[in-house]
Amino acid sequence: MDKSRTSVTSTPISSVSTRRIRRRSFRQSTRSHFGVASRLGLTPGQTTHRFNTSRKAPKPQNITEKVSPEHLALLVKTEWHLCYVTPLYRFRHTQLKSYARQLSAFIAAEKQQGLGVEVGGLQDTFKVSMSVLQGLAETNDDPETVLIQVQSRPAFARQDEPLKTVWSGWLSCINGNPEYLHSLPKDFTCLPLFGSRGLEGLSSLVKSWLRSTFDCFFGPLDINQTTLRWLAALWTNCHMESNIQHLKMQWTLPAAPPLHVAYTVNSGDALALWRSVRKSRGADEEACIEIEEVTSFMEGLTSHFYRHFGVDLSAGDLNQVSTALGSAKVKGRMKISSSRYLISTLSLLTECAFLKIPI
Amino acid sequence: MGSVLLSSDWLIRPRPERRFVLKFSVASASAKPNKSRSLVDVLGLNLPSGNMDDPAKFLLRRLVRRIPAQMLKATLEKWGRLNAEQRESLNFSQSKWALTQELEALCEESRLTVKHIAELEMIYITENPNQMMWHAFQLLDPEDGALAVELMQFKELFKCHLRELVRNVSVKIKKHTDEAVWIRMSWGEGFSRLSHLNATYVVHYLQTPYVFVSGLSPKNKPLLLQVLTLSTKHERIKDANLSGRKLTAIRDLLLRQYEHVFPTKYPSPLTERNQSVSNLHTEKEQAEASAKRHQMAGQAFGNGVLPALQSAVYKLETKFKDPTNQTMTEQDEPFRCVVKFSSTNLLESLRHCASSGIASTPVAPLLSSIPLKGRNYFVITDKSPSANS
Repeated sequence: MDKSRTSVTSTPISSVSTRRIRRRSFRQSTRSHFGVASRLGLTPGQTTHRFNTSRKAPKPQNITEKVSPEHLALLVKTEWHLCYVTPLYRFRHTQLKSYARQLSAFIAAEKQQGLGVEVGGLQDTFKVSMSVLQGLAETNDDPETVLIQVQSRPAFARQDEPLKTVWSGWLSCINGNPEYLHSLPKDFTCLPLFGSRGLEGLSSLVKSWLRSTFDCFFGPLDINQTTLRWLAALWTNCHMESNIQHLKMQWTLPAAPPLHVAYTVNSGDALALWRSVRKSRGADEEACIEIEEVTSFMEGLTSHFYRHFGVDLSAGDLNQVSTALGSAKVKGRMKISSSRYLISTLSLLTECAFLKIPI
Repeated sequence: MGSVLLSSDWLIRPRPERRFVLKFSVASASAKPNKSRSLVDVLGLNLPSGNMDDPAKFLLRRLVRRIPAQMLKATLEKWGRLNAEQRESLNFSQSKWALTQELEALCEESRLTVKHIAELEMIYITENPNQMMWHAFQLLDPEDGALAVELMQFKELFKCHLRELVRNVSVKIKKHTDEAVWIRMSWGEGFSRLSHLNATYVVHYLQTPYVFVSGLSPKNKPLLLQVLTLSTKHERIKDANLSGRKLTAIRDLLLRQYEHVFPTKYPSPLTERNQSVSNLHTEKEQAEASAKRHQMAGQAFGNGVLPALQSAVYKLETKFKDPTNQTMTEQDEPFRCVVKFSSTNLLESLRHCASSGIASTPVAPLLSSIPLKGRNYFVITDKSPSANS
């Protein structure tokens, strides 16, 4: 890890690493990417990465040609519970079938603990399938996304009824930090972002199996206030290309009893405010978005609120930001509603995951 | 799938009640064929066909599901349609669907109709009004004699005017203990049978200009409002822009039945001239500011227990005025947004915000309008800084 640390601190301030990306013929627009290490002036060496203070605006990408529609349908329009994962030891993308068998045996064994006599084949109760979700990886360094699905027959169903997916999850790494990825020893695969949906009990079982098999660690990926504000600004920026319909923010103020405020702004007016903030910075449309612009944007919204109600929203916490493109909750739940921004949102989340990884 | 098990009477019906159909399909989807209770059992169609028809059965079933177990016994007692012997025979510790079966049998024994079951529903709702969505209306321009309208007169006028305007409706008027008149109405479409499943409830406090309505469809709204206006001897009725689940809360807010602070010239008790010097070390620095905030919060919202209003919605269409952002300030179009405040007790939260400093004092007029004007829906435009309807 020291190698990566020194490489971060030695990179000159002004350069934002533009990387030669293999242009694929079917891609419609220029790739968006997120700049690597940022400068916040904090002491280096505490963590290897810092949150970016500037990003390029995400462009809509039509990824239906890269990713199969079934996989897209699985990922989009569902709310995922996010966690970060430390790198996996000796994980092979080629052995997914055997991993799936092991996992289903593990789940069956765990379920059997403490129960009485079970009738019927235990192995049939939960069926696990692991597959590679092709097409999401953005760079050559990104390992391919892995999709895990647990299916089971609903209780009292007949034998010939189809299995229902009761739990699904994925491990992915989109636009991962290249220095970090290069600095990993050979046997490690870095898939830091873990999303899950379904029964909570199954989530913990899958995590404990992954933990014991690949010697990794799971932790909650709380989407913090800064990220939520970034998402609010970035989604508003996307209104130029795709209609976000509205920008809805949910705050909680620490009153007794707690006061919840849902502040929904008309999309056109939010974009006008965003544009005015960007114009005042003298930046053109293509340049990077700075964190100061995001702060000014949020300040504009909260000051408009204050002028009417005399209530300072910054006294509370921003809990949730949602638009037609997706929603993000502070407890680490994220929903991406539009496949066009899937890659950029996952990249942002991967970055958050990298920040939280303790090593 | 469900139609196979319905009686033929309902199959003929041209447009079944949507709510009824929805409930039925949910019930049938949850009953698996392999379960010991078959779908037929759940619907109780194995019972000997008594004289209780399907609407009564469905209404009864829905009621038993809705009323919590501990309240069911008392409600049945209050209803009074089953004698003591029958009530004692009921086993309240069994599952609800088994209880429903027993109740149905008893009701058939006593030859009860859907009207009697509607009575039971009314009793339950009257005792527990805080489960439905209520909307408040205000009567305006009282004619002479409006204040003198008392219960019997109101009942006569209401039924009379209603019969003039609507043919197919069933009405039940009841006076509750606290001066409130409760009306339950079942509407029928055209000449079809009355649907008792989607009843409208109206609560009117005599001698006050307020009416609270729940379960009113947009189709029947103008009719009902007209009847109410005529029978209370007013000329107009308008939407009070106040709605909420807790009837008691919105009623208290409108009728001002909670502790107020009367504005006084001397906000604090007069201080004595020779005041003993208090220990300066123990006095907090913020005491004065804090006391002032508390006082202003109390003036705006009230000092005692506040009615448990749950939400307030503001639709803002005002211009964006910010001295630091010239571009937006120069724009002529309004900045449109909708703000919704919600809490288990909204007024309590707002008062706490004001007294703790989260909200600036004196309290913003938009917030203090909630208790002052007794409404929780506002549309704010630049022309009138205060709320306009």
